[in-house]
Amino acid sequence: MSDYSYHASGSRDGTGAKGSIVVSTQRAAIHLEGSAKETLEQGRNRLVVAGVLFAFCFFVLAGRLVGLALSGIGQDKDVTVYSQTIQRKPTITASRADIYDRSGVLLATTLDTVSVFADPTRILDPIDAAKKLTSVLQDLSRASVTSKLSSKRNFVWLKRHLTPKQQNQINSLGIPGVFFRKEEKRVYPLGPVAAHLIGYTDVDNNGIAGVEKYFDDGLSGRNGSKVGPISLSVDVRVQHALRDELTRFMSIFRAIGAAGMVMDVKTGEVLGMASLPDFDPNRPQDFPSQNKFNRATLGVYEMGSTFKTFTTAMALDTRSVSLRDGFDATDPIRVAGFRIRDDHPKKRWLSVPEIFIYSSNIGTAKMADSIGPKRHKAFLRKLGLLDKPVIEMPEVGAPLLPLRWNSLETMTISYGHGLSVSPLQLSTAVGAIVNGGLYIKPTILKKSAKEAPEGKRVIRKKTSDTVRRLMRLVVEKGTGSKAAAKGYLVGGKTGTAEKAVNGRYKRDALLTSFVSAFPMNNPRYVVFAMLDEPKGNASTHGFRGAGWTTAPIVSRLITRLGPLLGVKPVDEASDVVKAEMFVPVYSREKKLATY
Amino acid sequence: MKWNLTLILVLIVAAVSYGLYQLSYEVQQLGTDLRKLRAGITENRASVQVLKAEWAYENRPANLQILAAKHLPLLLVAPYQVAEIQDLPSRVTDPFAASLSVIPVPRFKPWRRGYGNDDTPQRPLHVAKYVGPSQIGEGVE
Repeated sequence: MSDYSYHASGSRDGTGAKGSIVVSTQRAAIHLEGSAKETLEQGRNRLVVAGVLFAFCFFVLAGRLVGLALSGIGQDKDVTVYSQTIQRKPTITASRADIYDRSGVLLATTLDTVSVFADPTRILDPIDAAKKLTSVLQDLSRASVTSKLSSKRNFVWLKRHLTPKQQNQINSLGIPGVFFRKEEKRVYPLGPVAAHLIGYTDVDNNGIAGVEKYFDDGLSGRNGSKVGPISLSVDVRVQHALRDELTRFMSIFRAIGAAGMVMDVKTGEVLGMASLPDFDPNRPQDFPSQNKFNRATLGVYEMGSTFKTFTTAMALDTRSVSLRDGFDATDPIRVAGFRIRDDHPKKRWLSVPEIFIYSSNIGTAKMADSIGPKRHKAFLRKLGLLDKPVIEMPEVGAPLLPLRWNSLETMTISYGHGLSVSPLQLSTAVGAIVNGGLYIKPTILKKSAKEAPEGKRVIRKKTSDTVRRLMRLVVEKGTGSKAAAKGYLVGGKTGTAEKAVNGRYKRDALLTSFVSAFPMNNPRYVVFAMLDEPKGNASTHGFRGAGWTTAPIVSRLITRLGPLLGVKPVDEASDVVKAEMFVPVYSREKKLATY
Repeated sequence: MKWNLTLILVLIVAAVSYGLYQLSYEVQQLGTDLRKLRAGITENRASVQVLKAEWAYENRPANLQILAAKHLPLLLVAPYQVAEIQDLPSRVTDPFAASLSVIPVPRFKPWRRGYGNDDTPQRPLHVAKYVGPSQIGEGVE
């Protein structure tokens, strides 16, 4: 055996033809094992080859299996499935994102509802089915449902957006051919509060007004934008107080409309914005279209005497007058066929503070005339009164400028006639006057505390300090005394304008407004109120001016808002506050001698 | 030996197939559970959304104002009603009550909890009694 193996190995190791000869001689010589053994050997070799092949295959399979197990491809697949369902969820079941107020109160949300439809071709007995359906849906008429169910079509809506109870009842009726379909409905839980601000959507949940329209892409995720909820700067409590007071005084003075605005002067955030009459965004189709008109941003009005704030600020800022100076307001001014007269005539020389607190048109017109149209226009442009304001709403009205701007226009615009601006522009501009002289862009989006608002300087700090003291004086002694809210140092300016109808001023249609800020020792909020065509009543002795009709709104509103907004009341009679708010009036009024 | 190997292999194959069989069914079951859970989550999310909307609806300011007017005797806050913590007068302690605070009290014993009267002080007496200025005069006398 060993000999054979030696030879075999020898024959393998052997080189050349010699080895083969040796083998052949051996074969020829000895047949030790026989051909059977040889065949067996060959078969075994083949088996080994096949086995190695199979083993290799199995190793590959095993290796692949281990590889797959380790690389986690199976899990990967599961993860993708999961993330797809998660991502699909907001786009399909809750496509439109929510809108919140600044403290997280839900203003608009999307709810899943169920609508009921019928396939008339599969309805067995339309009359009986209609009878059953109208017993649940009592607001539908039986005749119309019967005619719908007996039509030739194969799809008719019976009612959109059922309540769960109605759905259950209809389901238990078990009428064949009546089906449900899942739908979405935009819901505004607070109803008409902030209706103009939020806006509303159409049946297909496309925003068609207000924030819903402006942020339509961001809320719905259309056009590849990121879906996310929106936090507005509005405070629901402030908004409600504003709307509540405006509604009250609108009915007291039988006005045809009202608008109001509460704004943070330091950040430009709009805390409340109301326009009356308003509507319920849950069912906008039930309200006339004039209710949907946003007077606070889209409406532009000649604001009247509130513009004297800007004229006075401009005159003091350009140093063309000082507080000591004044103008003769004895006689009305006649210019280019117009007569400029005073509503509260004093018929004497008035100092600059007196012109402001008694709201003298004559004095203000002369003051503006001494500055000139060019600088007047430039100043108002700096305050954003001549350009369309930039705010995150689609309904923004552009101001109406006079065709020419000469001396006459400067004189009328100085007391608020001839230039129409929106309440939003006016509030922003007054905010810039009182907050130290910085124009801050208004916004309806909540700003984080870190975001330092970047302002554009429009007047000097010193002018701003003087003007806010003058505004305080208006409430203390002048035309706006009814706006006083004890403890909150309200300062403001009345504005009574005759409405221009068909190019002429109507004497009996007034637009009264009051723009104010509080607390005047460190202004934080601008409060604006406006009434459209108020009528006087017994409590106002028949007067309809802003001092009688809109100033009380501001007074009540600030009394309500002060504690809400965390403004600490001060003792107005204390010497510290009096010294802080002191401004010399330099009156030359002849007092009766008292001996 | 050979038979043993075969037997072991057969057993292993049987065990592995049983295991795989179980695994496959378990996976199917888990898949079903997952689908159910996801459906449940979706439904709950929808319900939560409805509840949130309802919460906002019930808490709308106009509603609260009506309820407050009906049930609470509240008026607008007057400036004199607003004060800061610094504005409060500093606390004046009755001298007699203050003298009590140094009297030792029996230590707390757990077995006395059941029957002891509830007035028994559980820790050293700490008097926090506000006495108005008028009463102080009387107390000193």
